[in-house]
Order: sequence, then structure tokens, then C-alpha cells
Amino acid sequence: MPHVQNGWYLAAWSDEVGRTLTQRWIAGNPVCLYRLGDGTPVALEDRCPHRKFPLSLGRLDGDVLECNYHGYRFDGTGACVGVAEQQDRPRAAARRFRLLERDGIVWIWPGDPDRADESQLPDTSWLTDPNWTHVQGVLPLKARHLLLVENLLDLSHETFLHPTTIGNAAVAATPIEVTTAGPKVYFQRRMIGVPAPPFYQKSMGLTGLVDRWQDGEFHPPGIFVLNIRLAATGTEEPEGFHMKVLYGMTPATEHECHDFYALARDYAIDDEQLTTFQHEQQLAVMAEDVQALEVQEVMYATERRRVAESSIRSDLAALRGRRVLRKMLAAEAAEEEAAAGRMPAAR
Amino acid sequence: MAVGPAAPARVAPVSRVPGPAEPIDVTVVGRRMAAADVVELTVARPATEPLPQWTPGAHVDVLLPTGAVRQYSLCGDPADDRSWRLGVLREPAGRGGSGWLCEHAVEGTSLTLRGPRNNFALVDAERYVFVAGGVGITPVLPMVHAADRAGRPWTLWYGGRHRSSMAFLDELTRYGDRVRIRPEDESGLLDLAGVLADAGPGTLVYCCGPAGLIDAMQNRCRSLPAGTLRVERFTAVSQPVDDGADRDIEVLCQASGLTVPVPAGCGILDAVRRAGLDVLSSCTEGICGTCETTVLDGVPEHRDSLLTEEERAAGDTMMICVSRARGDRLVLDL
Ligand code: FES
Ligand code: FES
Ligand SMILES: [Fe+2]
Repeated sequence: MPHVQNGWYLAAWSDEVGRTLTQRWIAGNPVCLYRLGDGTPVALEDRCPHRKFPLSLGRLDGDVLECNYHGYRFDGTGACVGVAEQQDRPRAAARRFRLLERDGIVWIWPGDPDRADESQLPDTSWLTDPNWTHVQGVLPLKARHLLLVENLLDLSHETFLHPTTIGNAAVAATPIEVTTAGPKVYFQRRMIGVPAPPFYQKSMGLTGLVDRWQDGEFHPPGIFVLNIRLAATGTEEPEGFHMKVLYGMTPATEHECHDFYALARDYAIDDEQLTTFQHEQQLAVMAEDVQALEVQEVMYATERRRVAESSIRSDLAALRGRRVLRKMLAAEAAEEEAAAGRMPAAR
Repeated sequence: MAVGPAAPARVAPVSRVPGPAEPIDVTVVGRRMAAADVVELTVARPATEPLPQWTPGAHVDVLLPTGAVRQYSLCGDPADDRSWRLGVLREPAGRGGSGWLCEHAVEGTSLTLRGPRNNFALVDAERYVFVAGGVGITPVLPMVHAADRAGRPWTLWYGGRHRSSMAFLDELTRYGDRVRIRPEDESGLLDLAGVLADAGPGTLVYCCGPAGLIDAMQNRCRSLPAGTLRVERFTAVSQPVDDGADRDIEVLCQASGLTVPVPAGCGILDAVRRAGLDVLSSCTEGICGTCETTVLDGVPEHRDSLLTEEERAAGDTMMICVSRARGDRLVLDL
């Protein structure tokens, strides 16, 4: 299955991009990431227009990128500005992707740059808000994008997959409410008067019954934000402990993803021990997810005759997400076909 | 923003740990019609052991012999640990669970339950506004009694199609004008602005009823402090807004040229299969989307859980395992 191109994906945390050429596959595209001297992040298709050699294996000469195979040279817009040691000035350009840097994130829009729409990005101001603190990172995942999307849109799995950290029976036992707004899918799971799972007991000192809110937002194709609130049961908003988790679910190739995460909280923000503890726990939870998704990927990839899956109510948000992605892909496929129909066949 | 451990919570007098999911065997000991289409069942344990504790807003799972599981709110007295009361809406044909209970559960019938669980607990507040639509009254009834016993000011707005379809009116008369009965055929839809006029600071609003009512309340309550509105939906399914009764319809399958009559009580999926068409399906409950079919003509009446409001309104696709037609004819791409 190809990937949606006209949409934002998390390409990198800002501090991952610098003056070193870095290759990252994004939604089926090899991307070469680096910064110009003035700090502007650049993403070029990591295929030299000459003989497809990865540009990321080249070198930076000031703001000019030189291919290490036959010396094609490119400026920050991707235009070829000459060939080292030669007189030729080929009219060639490496495709440049649209980037947007905000709140410590480099977002990429792999499709038509003219259609890149900032308003589709979720609010990430909490990543730089002084009243919040966060940890972040990225894990490689050998599973298809859809499995990651569905993992996050159906958190009933916390009960079974993460029982020692963030899950307990209340999660799966509490139904979700799903709403949509255009292509975005939202769900709410409000657990009222339930025991707190171990992670929250330790993070927040909550030992009695709690109200636990899990409000998820899927910004297709690749962004998920989870808004978490815990408080002793009956406590009213805005009292309570708030956390947010941003997941950049960035497909790499057909069967691989980058699993970006940022975990933030609005309480005890100077408690570094707590930060370390929460980061370790987050990684432990994600290790369980990665392991599950990777074995799940094998099962999907090797099924000879595709048998229809069974679904239940708790799948509704994930099923909606799947529908949205399918529609976006179908629309892009139709556009491509229409475009191909208009153009003479390539020779 | 809270720093460090939370301030001591205002104690919720009513909330409980969801119990383990053990099955509880009970026997139906009473059955009456609480309204034209609501069957009230009283169940008790065959042995003399007490039933588990519950709190207003709790529901139980009923494990039906058909294999289906349905949730019903407990609507009796939480202090009664010998028997439980459930209100069961007689639903339009085609939705397994309630139909079975309404037809087969009589005095002496054995049932298996699970729970109780409470996702809709009554949290302590200075005052309450309760809003119930139709059979949504069942979890609200014990809440009303509890709020009244606790001496809190409250009002109940109770909407339904007509008086005869509204359960437990008899039990509510003693509260006088704190209960606002609003049958649709007498006073139209609930006036939500009026309902919320009572919701001053310190008020919690509890709402249970059809999806349309809950959605409308959620929209209305956007401007109130978060957490003011607490809702419970019975199922992910929105009840059909029309009379809900199935009619005989006719489905023209364009691709295969077949015209298939679909009698009331029979789903389109079953009917076209019987007519020899090979159609994929999985959940047969309107959840998974496997049976999605393109609508070429006619207006579908959507009873699935998956389609969004926009997709419903567009009317060009439907889940034929549960959905039917607004008119008496559909043309499908089958
Ligand atoms: S492949 Fe880059 S210069 Fe030849
Ligand atoms: S078979 Fe699942 S929606 Fe119809
Ligand atoms: Fe997980």
C-alpha cells in the first residue's frame, strides 16, 4: 500500500537536523535532511538527478551539496548549479520537499508543496510552554504505518499489553466515544472512579480511586495527540494532573515506520527524577508496542489468503482512521491517474 | 495547574471499583410493562446470597443465550441487595438482544449477568440537572432518588415520544414540578437552552438518552466548565430517529439485475444472500464496515456505528447488515 503524500508527517526533531547530511525515508520517499548556514532546514529527495546516487552520501560545501558519485552540485532549492571540475551546467534539480519548523519539530509535506496547509497541524505549543516539560525521541518500527495508527486509536490494548505500567481493566471496560471533524478522528474515554494503574500511582502519588481521561486526536495521515487527565475521583477540571503525548507516526517504507514520541506533563515540572522515571516508563511501554506491532506485521505480511478481520466497538476509532486514510489514498490515486491520462506516456 | 499531589478531592459518596467480570446467575422474579415499549424486569439470585453492591449510574452486562451481550442500567434501589431492576426497550427487529429479552424473559427465566460496572457515576455536587431521553431514564432514576435523599437541589428533564412510551412516570410524580415531563407529541423536542438555564456554577449535568440528544447536549455545554456534562450512551448505535419500525422494502441490485424483497425483520444482507448474491460481511452489527455497499438510488436509513454524520448525510454508501431504507426502495451496486 502506498502512502498518503499530501499531508504532514513528523520528519525529525529539530535537534536531529544540522550540518550533517542525514537520510530518512518518509512515506516511501528517500529524504536527505540538512541545514543551510543560516539554519534553514532543507529536505531534498535523496536521489541524485544524474544517476540516483543518494545525495546524503555527498558533502556540504557551504550551502552547496555536492554528490559524491560524479560531482553534481545543488543549492538549497535543489537546483543543480554545476558539476565539479566540469564545464557542463545540466538543467537538473533534486526535488525539494516542503518543510515547516515549529515548536522543536521539523514537519514535512511530501506531496505538492503548494497544497501544504499549516492549519492542518495540531497545536504543539505545549512543547515550548514554560508550564510544561517533556521528553522526546524516536524509535524504529518494522511494521506498516496502519498498524501504528490503529495501535494508538484503540487504547483498549493498554489493559492487555501494558498491565504493569499504564493499563488496567478499567481501560478496556470503558467504552469510547468517537467523533469526527472532516478527516480528523477524535475519541474520548472517560474512566470515572477507577483505580490508577502503576505508572500514574507512582507519577502522581494517586493511591485512591481516580477519574482518568484519555482524549485522542488523529490528525491524518500521521499525527496523533493523546490528552490525559488524572485526578482523585470527583475532582473538577482544571484541577488534576495533565499529560500530553504526541506521536509522529511517520511511515518510512511499506513495512517500516519512524515512531516519534514526546511525553509532556504540567505538574512537578522541575522534578528531574520524575522526568527520568517517566521517560523510562514511556520507553518500556513503547517497547511492548513495538514488539507487538512487529510480530503483528509478520502475521499480516504472510497471510496467504486474506481473511476478513473481526471487529468490536472499541475498534471504532481505528476503523474510522482506516477509512480516512483509505479515502485520502483513493483521492490521490485518482488524481494521479487523471494526471497520467492527460500526459503522453513516458518513453 | 496542580503541582505535586492533588488537593484532597471532594469525596464522591458514590463510586466503586469495577468488580471482576464474574458471571452472576439470576432468575427473573418480576416482569411488567413500565411503558408501551419498555419491559421492566426484576431479577434475583436463586440462592440467598446478596447481589454485589452498585451505585446509581451502574449497568450490568446481560449474557444472552444467543451469544450476544447487552448492557442495561440498573434502575432499582441500590440498598436492595436481594433483587435488581432493569428496564428493557423493545427495539425494532433486527437488533438481537432486547428482542430476545422482551420475548423470552418471563418469571422463572434464568439469566446470566456480569458486573455491575459504573461509567456514569454520580459525583457529589452542589446541585444537579438530569436530562433523560426515552429509556435513558433508567440510569437517571436512581440518581434522582440519591440526589433527593442527599438533600441536593435538582431538576429532571425527561423527554420521550409520547407519554405512553415513557417509563416510570408513576414513580416520578411524587417529586412534583422538579420533574419536567416533556413528551414530544405534546411539547416538541426538549428545550435545551431552558434545561441549561438551571445549570449555574457548582451544577453537574447528567444526560442519558439517544445519540441525537447527547450530541446536542455536548454542543450546548461547550461553553460550560469542562466536566460539567456527564453523559452515557447506551450503545454506539444511534437509535433511528423515525419510528424505528421496519417496513417491507425492495432492493434492486443493479449489477446483477436482481430485485430482492426485504421483509420487515430481515436484514438486507440476509435477503440478498438468500437471493444468491455473494456479499462479504464480518461483524453483522454495523461496526466493521466489511459489508459496505454503494447506494445508487433511494435514501438509506443508517443504523451502523461506523459512518460519520457527513457520510450518512451523503447517503451514497451504507452498511447493509443493519441499515435499511427511509423509503420503500433502494438501488444498490450489488
Ligand atoms: S549520481 Fe550524482 S553525480 Fe552522478
Ligand atoms: S458486516 Fe460489519 S458493518 Fe456490516
Ligand atoms: Fe500501547
